[in-house]
Amino acid sequence: MVQSKSQRILRALLAWFIVGLFFFPLYYWVSVAFRDAKEIFDIPPRVFNFSPTMKNFEEVFGISFGFGFGEQREVLPGGGNWYMMPRLVDSIIIAVGSTILSVSIATLAAYALSRINFRGRHHFVGWVLSTRMMPPVAVAIPMFFMFRDMGLMDTHIGIILVHGLMNLPLAVLLMKSFFDDVPTAIDESALIDGASRWFIFRKVILPMAKGGIAATAVLCFIFSWTEFLFVLTLTQTGLKTVPVVASTFVTSTGTAWGNMAALGAAAMIPAFIFILLVQKQLVRGLTLGSVKQ
Amino acid sequence: MSDVVAQRGRFWSFDRAWPWLAPMVLMLLVFTIYPLIYNVWLSFHEYVPLKRKLVNVGWDNWKTLFTDARMWASFGVTMLYFVIVLTIELVLGMALALLLDSNTLGMGFLRGLLTLTLVVPPAITGMMFLLMEDPSFGVISYYLEQLGVLSADSPILSSSETALAGVIVADVWQWTPFMVLILLAGLRSLPSEPFEAAVLDGASSWQIFRRITLPLLGKVIAVAVLIRGIDIYRMFDYVFVMTSGGPGTSTYTLSLYAWQQTFSFIKWGYGASISLFSLFVILVISNLFIKISKVRW
Repeated sequence: MVQSKSQRILRALLAWFIVGLFFFPLYYWVSVAFRDAKEIFDIPPRVFNFSPTMKNFEEVFGISFGFGFGEQREVLPGGGNWYMMPRLVDSIIIAVGSTILSVSIATLAAYALSRINFRGRHHFVGWVLSTRMMPPVAVAIPMFFMFRDMGLMDTHIGIILVHGLMNLPLAVLLMKSFFDDVPTAIDESALIDGASRWFIFRKVILPMAKGGIAATAVLCFIFSWTEFLFVLTLTQTGLKTVPVVASTFVTSTGTAWGNMAALGAAAMIPAFIFILLVQKQLVRGLTLGSVKQ
Repeated sequence: MSDVVAQRGRFWSFDRAWPWLAPMVLMLLVFTIYPLIYNVWLSFHEYVPLKRKLVNVGWDNWKTLFTDARMWASFGVTMLYFVIVLTIELVLGMALALLLDSNTLGMGFLRGLLTLTLVVPPAITGMMFLLMEDPSFGVISYYLEQLGVLSADSPILSSSETALAGVIVADVWQWTPFMVLILLAGLRSLPSEPFEAAVLDGASSWQIFRRITLPLLGKVIAVAVLIRGIDIYRMFDYVFVMTSGGPGTSTYTLSLYAWQQTFSFIKWGYGASISLFSLFVILVISNLFIKISKVRW
């Protein structure tokens, strides 16, 4: 469309302003992570003028960074109330485990849904999609009783299973869309040459869909990393992931905002890096494979 | 071709579809169908603390469900939240997508920046806005008071008129970029000929948007609305950390109400009934929507 120069500049300024508004809460949260408690509660609220400290991060990670801002402190390794390394480890184990689980199961299923004709294939895809519609609470309530009876409460394997299941519809539909991109002529000529389906899958299709598998894995990781309700319901004292434990930073004297923000900010970093790595496939992933970029 | 191959194979063969699908089907059966059946069974029972066991109560939970004022209040809140949030995110997302659909002055950078909100754990987003909407030291509250929009004696999240709006802000912040990204991808894949023809014919920007852009984007909009709609309907994290449903019932969603009945009030059977009701409603709505909009996977 034809736009004058001033119109273009105006439009760019507006875009920067609005995206800036969206970025502000992230900036503010990270800045709180670097503040001493008294600078969080000041009125009027401080936005830019605070003196940064590593205190909150040191308490959360249980290590002294030994640099920067303000005086040096003794840090108790594994000591303080806000020592959260074990919770970060829990989060990583669960996110990695459930990602491997859902991607491997989904890759197999998606190959069949993309390549092999069978009766009711269309209904099958519909069934997978409809499991994406289930409100988590409708699964979490019966799962709580199942897990209690099976001894899966408070276990990594239990949460890995649930998160793996939660991501399964996304992973299946997304992988199917990536397999659909690989021309069927490749399979057909290999089949005529006498190769088995399994051989074709491993040696031809999987290598060609590598990028798709990586994008699927990243999204599964992120959704497991950020999930709240299942972990809240299916754990009691043993393990907790970051989002759940962060929401409990409330003490009798108030909320430990600084420590909570430090934990939250630290937990966002891997997700930020991952999401920037898959920008090209992001829209396809968010729409379960139905909108291609 | 594929049909021939499928028939050629023996039963125990990777030429068949079932060995590929078996792990997924097993997983879905064990972790969705079985819990669903268990949930239905549970909804006809109730835990009696004195006897320390579940007792068959017949249709009692379902009868309660249809007469429970709090349950209908939370159904109302869920629907209100659903309509308001979906509308705001779609309209704002469309406006921003049109604004960012350009190659000048760092627009690509801005698009990348917007994706960051999507990966913040929603529970943390809830805490972020809880902090910023705090009545005494929250930035949002403070500046809204300075602007005279809010009065100092009506805290956003603990007044029943504004609490839902306080939660909606968090949702809109986190998920409008979702709409922007999807709509942008749609806009960028549109053919340029209809637009060039329309400009030659002297159509106004609004006419072009209304008569060309919107119809061509139909499918993309439908997919975005479907996926976002499902997630908005079952929203739990924001209200759980920000308001716990209060004040009164002003921010109770169905998911939260079902969860609290089960785990806070130990009404296992009743919680199961509410969660089944909520599942039923979303299945009806989304399947109707899929039929009408003809979205296909």
